[in-house]
Amino acid sequence: MPRGAGPRAAALLVHQLLLSPYHHRASPVHRLPAIGKVAGAVALVFTVVLLPRTAWAAYGACGAALVLIAALSRIPAHRLAKKLLLLEPFVLGVAALSLLQPDGTRVFLAMLTKSTLCLFAIVLLSSTTRFSDVLRVLWRLRVPPLLVTSLALMYRYLSLLVDEAARMHRARRSRTFSPGRVLAWRSSATVAAHLFVRSSERAERVYAAMCARGWRT
Amino acid sequence: MRPGVEDVNALEVRALHYRYPDGTLALRGVGLSVAEGERVALVGPNGAGKSTLLLHLNGLLPEHPSGAPAVHVFGTPVVEPHLAAIRAQVGLLFQDPDDQLFCPTVWEDVAFGPQQLGFKEPGLSERVARALAQVGLDGFEDRLPQHLSRGEKRRVCLAGVLACDARVLALDEPTSDLDPRGRRELKALLRSLPVAQIIATHDLELVVETCQRVIVMDDGAIVAEGPPAEVLSDERRMLEHGLEQPHILRHRHPH
Amino acid sequence: MHIPDGFVDGKTALAAGALAAAGLGVALRTLRRAFPPRRVPLIGLAAAFVFAAQMLNFPVAGGTSGHLIGAVLAAVLLGPSAAVLVMSSVLILQCFMFADGGVTALGANIFNMALVAPGVGYAVFAVVRRIAGESRRSLLLATAFASWCSTVAAAIACAGQLAVSGTVVWGVALPAMAGVHMLIGIGEAVITTLVIAAVAGVRPELLRESAPPEGRPRYAELAAYGLLVSLGLAVFVAPFASGWPDGLERVAAALGFQATAARAPLFAAPLPEYVVPGLGAAVSSTVIAGSVGTLLAFGLAYLLARLLTPPGDAARRGSPRGGAPRASAAA
Repeated sequence: MPRGAGPRAAALLVHQLLLSPYHHRASPVHRLPAIGKVAGAVALVFTVVLLPRTAWAAYGACGAALVLIAALSRIPAHRLAKKLLLLEPFVLGVAALSLLQPDGTRVFLAMLTKSTLCLFAIVLLSSTTRFSDVLRVLWRLRVPPLLVTSLALMYRYLSLLVDEAARMHRARRSRTFSPGRVLAWRSSATVAAHLFVRSSERAERVYAAMCARGWRT
Repeated sequence: MRPGVEDVNALEVRALHYRYPDGTLALRGVGLSVAEGERVALVGPNGAGKSTLLLHLNGLLPEHPSGAPAVHVFGTPVVEPHLAAIRAQVGLLFQDPDDQLFCPTVWEDVAFGPQQLGFKEPGLSERVARALAQVGLDGFEDRLPQHLSRGEKRRVCLAGVLACDARVLALDEPTSDLDPRGRRELKALLRSLPVAQIIATHDLELVVETCQRVIVMDDGAIVAEGPPAEVLSDERRMLEHGLEQPHILRHRHPH
Repeated sequence: MHIPDGFVDGKTALAAGALAAAGLGVALRTLRRAFPPRRVPLIGLAAAFVFAAQMLNFPVAGGTSGHLIGAVLAAVLLGPSAAVLVMSSVLILQCFMFADGGVTALGANIFNMALVAPGVGYAVFAVVRRIAGESRRSLLLATAFASWCSTVAAAIACAGQLAVSGTVVWGVALPAMAGVHMLIGIGEAVITTLVIAAVAGVRPELLRESAPPEGRPRYAELAAYGLLVSLGLAVFVAPFASGWPDGLERVAAALGFQATAARAPLFAAPLPEYVVPGLGAAVSSTVIAGSVGTLLAFGLAYLLARLLTPPGDAARRGSPRGGAPRASAAA
């Protein structure tokens, strides 16, 4: 996830990846219940991670299974590929560190393979499962309500906040004539501060709205 | 439609005073009533106290109640232990629908109120579907609030309170940021709902087209009350209180 | 600092996961008891805010830019337990919806960025505040230094986890992670302090709200976090720092986990003459380098605080009384 990418680019990216990491299709994969998909993805990820480094055949089998599921899900391949490509550089960066040790290349390749397979699994999961369904799974699994509520509210208001931040940033930039670095930092910090103030005011109103509809803690 | 004298008013407000935490007086002895099924508009300049008044109708204000309750809903005072029931009966719609649409999906948001009231499946989904149908949003259950238009968000909020069988609707600026089509659709929707309504608004056309009575507020007090055609035609008084005569009344032909 | 899948092995993931779950549990319990219900939605919105703030642009040079972690920002604005929950929520969402941070590494990532970062950060913040007083300048100084410390501490924990997993040798992991984050931490400190300064300028009462309710002993809470952080550091870092036999590895071998790769020799000492009796040469130089870095960071934090304090505020005690609290009504 390219953090520090700048609000406008970030807003576009967020809208692409966040508002629709879920890509709706009428496929057997989409129709599976959320708990099954989450459990399956998590199980696959754990398996891949726990496999010995040189279990190349097993890696291949997992990869094939994922490709099969991707095909069944009818999500366009280029969409999945784009998401994977966006995420790979970070994996490569950390993996590169593993080269600096005896037998480093083998470790490096194993890390790369494991990470890519796991990335693929999660990208598939998020593309075929609505986050609200994941939240419902968590709720049913008796995850503490405070945590689930926080996740739900965060998910709901994320795009709103990113839009607000982008708007504020644009407004400030249109009033700045000499964009030096110092000014840019101060400007971003002021945007962040106002964003927090507005968020905390909104939180008060959300609380009032929850009470107005009978919410009891 | 005026009810018979035996009926209790949907809303009864008597001598309501309210002071903000910083000391400013927001409401000065406000008194009004709304009969069952009646649609009443609340107009006035910004800062008149309209929103503050609405927040008293379901007990969100005052934060620390003291003294005799000034607000009654169908005869029940708006204090503990009646607040839970009152909040089901009085559907309050906030100015910004984003504040009220806080659940991840439309279904969950409309189901929120009924769930707090104890409704469970299988009746719950039916309730949600019925409420959505009432506001003209059939099939919107799985939509995400972030993807809805302003007008749709408002209608989902409306569905959320209708799903609780609200008998009174209190709306804060319902048409404020809608495009003309959204406004038309919302006005038609409000006219189609038989419940009592009190609508705080700047949209004077909404008042004339939808409401049977209008209450003018200024500086925390009620300064005029009566049928819209009468009250809103008094140009001098309208300008005095930061309003103006709506065009729709200026160009009315007597037939 | 989000660790992807495959970089921590089974036993590390398990250990980190247990610690993360425990820390999250402590936070949830504390919040349930002490956090006023009217502020509960604020946690979710603050999580969205931290997420959004992490995307803000802070240009460094030639197209690169710094970014914020936000742990200390959350801790100063909301309190330590709320910060733990806020950061955990952000990490969970990033893991499942963005594939940013691996599922198996979620425990480690939560331990590093949602426990160590806010925990160490808030501890440093509280200590500096107590020593330096209640003025605006001391607030900014505490924020800046705490942010730097939180980043470095999280990086050290991360390095430890990578090394214990055999992914990266300690001799590479520590300088790569901790060294680099000593620089990144400066960015975190500057950004966090700028934001806190701006909030303090606009709505000082928002900062006071996070102060603990009067009379409530918060030692239990801080002690619990301190214990968990210390435990984690003992498991992930201490084996490398002390040269004692790796307890965790022996346990893992006994339980039948796969053996980790052989460890390369420790980082070569640039200052071989400096030897503290009892510790090895390599450790001494690391300790010295770390101490020098920390002192430098504190100095920079002080300068930053002076720069950002409006004239006249330096000696003023506390924030303006009362402020003009907005009415919650939207009248």
